[in-house]
Amino acid sequence: MRAIRITPPFLAACAAALLSACVAAPLNTEISPLNDARTWIAKAKAAGAEQCAPALQAEAVGQLYAAAHEYAEGNVHPDEQTETAAAATTAAKKAYAKCTNHPQVMRLTGVYFDTNSAHLKSASEATLNHAIKVLKANKKSDVEIAAYTDSRGSSSYNLKLSKMRADAVRDYLRNHNIAANRLTAKGYGESHPIASNASAAGRSKNRRVELHLK
Amino acid sequence: MNIKLGLLAAALLFSLPVSAANWGASIDDRADALSQKLHNSHDYHAYLAINLANKAAEEKDQHDTEVAKRFMQMAEQEAAKVGSAK
Repeated sequence: MRAIRITPPFLAACAAALLSACVAAPLNTEISPLNDARTWIAKAKAAGAEQCAPALQAEAVGQLYAAAHEYAEGNVHPDEQTETAAAATTAAKKAYAKCTNHPQVMRLTGVYFDTNSAHLKSASEATLNHAIKVLKANKKSDVEIAAYTDSRGSSSYNLKLSKMRADAVRDYLRNHNIAANRLTAKGYGESHPIASNASAAGRSKNRRVELHLK
Repeated sequence: MNIKLGLLAAALLFSLPVSAANWGASIDDRADALSQKLHNSHDYHAYLAINLANKAAEEKDQHDTEVAKRFMQMAEQEAAKVGSAK
């Protein structure tokens, strides 16, 4: 059997080998499914979240690592991959909102009313039930329900209609165990359009309901 | 020869990361110690350290020991930065 010569390079190799065995490889967060979470964490950090919202920012980063771990495992827990990534994004958005005083906006795509009415169509239930889940997961957030119309009709009519629609959504949430004292409803009428009112597609985008989490 | 063995031992010892000082302690013990040490701190790194330590304990409960060790090591590295958030 050949004797091993203990030379300085051998010592260095042993030390390096032991060091690498002790220090785990870092989790890879630089993967595309985590782009959104990373982007929001960076935005929150740039807004000073490590000082003004340290717990939320830490939650975001912790969830990012957890998500990276879930993705590194492959498809062992596919639900947890998306859940942890979404949790990281949500926490970072909240940290950013807290540090910038901007409310976190959740657009309720899929809430429909009868024409010229505040009567919610049954097709809205899936979207509203998802919103309820989000609000139950964010118990400390107060929420403004903001409704908007397109520009057809008079501005005073649109203001009134949007307020009635915001009230209808508030009532739905309240009837599904979201505390009334967390909810305020506000109609903005045709103000704050997000698309051109010159086209049907644009007007459809402008008719919307948003939750502003504060 | 003894000098060389001594050098080898010294090199190995100095190559250990800080967290290796906790060898022998269980993940739960390390997570508890870290949480107790930092629970009154409102520093970002303290919150992150506790968050990662909790994940380590969860992984350990699921018998994923290697992952638990990795999260615990990250937690202890974060705990070492407490007070340095900028």
